[in-house]
Amino acid sequence: MSAIHLKSLVKKFGDFTALKTMDLEIADGEFMALLGPSGCGKSTTMNMIAGMEEPTEGRILFGDRDMAGVPMGRRGVGFVFQNYAIFTHMTVRQNLAYGPRMHGRPKAEIDRRVGAIAELLQLAPMLDRPAAGLSVNILQRVAIGRSAILEPAIFLLDEPLSNVDAAFRAVMRTELKHLQREFRQTMVYVTHDQLEAMTMADRIAVMDHGVLQQVGTPIEVYNDPANVFVARFIGAPGMNLLPGRPAESDRGLVVDLGPLGVTAPLPAPLAQALRGHPGDVLFGFRPEQAALERAGPGIAAPVTVVERIGARTIVHLGEGETAMKLVAGNDVTAEAGAAVVVAPAMEAVRVFDRKTGMAIGASHG
Amino acid sequence: MSAVVTSRDEETIRVAIPAGSDASARDEAARLGFRLTLPAQVLVLFIAVFPLLMQLYISLTDWSPLSGRNWWMAYESWNDFYNYADLARDGRFWSALWRTAVVMLVCVPVQFLLGLGLATLFADEFPGKRVFYSILLMPMMVVPAVAGYMFFMLFQSGGPVNDVLSTLLGTRIAIAWLSDPTLALVAVMIADIWQWTPLMFLILLAGMVGVPQDQIRAATLLGAGPWQRFVTIVLPKMKTIIIIALAIRAIENFKIFDTLYIMTGGGPGVATETISVYIYKVTTQDLIWGYVAAIALAILLVLSVVTVFAMKRMAAAREVRA
Repeated sequence: MSAIHLKSLVKKFGDFTALKTMDLEIADGEFMALLGPSGCGKSTTMNMIAGMEEPTEGRILFGDRDMAGVPMGRRGVGFVFQNYAIFTHMTVRQNLAYGPRMHGRPKAEIDRRVGAIAELLQLAPMLDRPAAGLSVNILQRVAIGRSAILEPAIFLLDEPLSNVDAAFRAVMRTELKHLQREFRQTMVYVTHDQLEAMTMADRIAVMDHGVLQQVGTPIEVYNDPANVFVARFIGAPGMNLLPGRPAESDRGLVVDLGPLGVTAPLPAPLAQALRGHPGDVLFGFRPEQAALERAGPGIAAPVTVVERIGARTIVHLGEGETAMKLVAGNDVTAEAGAAVVVAPAMEAVRVFDRKTGMAIGASHG
Repeated sequence: MSAVVTSRDEETIRVAIPAGSDASARDEAARLGFRLTLPAQVLVLFIAVFPLLMQLYISLTDWSPLSGRNWWMAYESWNDFYNYADLARDGRFWSALWRTAVVMLVCVPVQFLLGLGLATLFADEFPGKRVFYSILLMPMMVVPAVAGYMFFMLFQSGGPVNDVLSTLLGTRIAIAWLSDPTLALVAVMIADIWQWTPLMFLILLAGMVGVPQDQIRAATLLGAGPWQRFVTIVLPKMKTIIIIALAIRAIENFKIFDTLYIMTGGGPGVATETISVYIYKVTTQDLIWGYVAAIALAILLVLSVVTVFAMKRMAAAREVRA
């Protein structure tokens, strides 16, 4: 069994709490991405799963086996380091054979296994090349192969693409996803790049400041962020959040945005949830889920900056608390200084409690 | 060496000058490069080339400071290669050379193993590390002559070494360490090991700290135990620095003199006479400097061969890594 179960996991370094009570279940064969900005505790979590660090509190179960006290060499975990940690004084073959050799496997078996894994990863032609000076995509495959040869039930990848330039990253992403399907192992993938998490993971665990913010499929995390942090962090640019206060109108419940005016009526389920929720809120909508008009009903705001990035245009509006970004097509004619009207698609609107930052009326808890 | 400097400079200058500029500008730049490196070249000439040529010249003569002639007049006592022929037949020289080799072949490996062990210990954290570290480096700071006097006192027949042995063995021990031909050599080697293990330790520790931690962790995750990690990752990664440490200590140890001279004066008899002690005696007692020059050149030749070999190995190791 290779499901991973983290139970009330806590990690402290002296006075600093790197991870605050993390509970997470990763299913057998699942590709789970741990996503968050640096210092959010994602690498600490990964290191504890690998056994490189001991949890201060809580338990880690692989299947139903408690991993407390099991040394890292005995956990059956494959680990791909951020810089791959290839043994540069060895050849590719020696790198691949390292694991079985350390486990004292007979030579014939090692040769057979190295041959098989090299075939799978297309490393066969360069088996006898020194590992130093290989290109980064080959290094990645060597790093994966070196772990995979021991047939670990669990694979941990620590930002394996962060040293790769942007153009190549797309290639590597595809390759990694393909390899995961090949191996069918439980994979935990640490990254700060949401694009990597979105494209590869079955589920994403978003973390910040040592706290697990939300767990869900990429679409869930994008559509229904559990709180303000996830709303801002996921998406490029992140969700627009405008301070306001719910108000009744003859057309239904709206959000009074103060100087920006009043929004269109909220959809019924959201209005329902919001009616039982007094106090200030944040009115949230995605930059790509709103229309930009010259005039008409909607939120009026001045254009401040127009960023043209080829296929799309990012339009910056307003300032300070009421700053917004909008993603439009490249045929937008608006220029800085123009007064425009933003009309969010109301069925995609989300509302958050301004004090707690939590989503109101979301389908999840 | 100077040739290397010149060619490097030319290369830089060639880069600096845009393509298509005329030849006279290039000559001008080359002359500037030559003028800029001139002081360094003169320095090299005086500290390396000139003494070497002078030595070679004198080694082909019977010149002695007592001859009443200046050294550049040494050709008046030109003796072709007699000094070298004498050297080949000089039993005392050969036994001194052999003794020096034995001391080196014992001391350097012992220092290496002790240094490596200590470095392994100090690569990890433990309480009181800084204090032990300072204590450990102290022998290296002691002036060798003082160290020699220290060990001279320690190894007296009524000295602390015998006292400790007496206590340990429960009987009265009064070994005359420095008067026994074999034990005197042992005592001298102990002193050298005491004084120079710290240097070996320091160099090896620097090398060990430089071994990438993530590769060690990767090895651990792949199931390697501490000893396997040491043999398959740490040692190979330290190869270059190990060669440097061994080369430095081998060359230094070959020239062993001050500690030894104060402890035994090369005695009893010639039992601890190493090559440096022998040269010293020939220089100050026999005063045949032509012969001394011949010995010194022969030694230089031997050491150069060792050094070149070490450098080759180092370059090879670096090539594998790059």
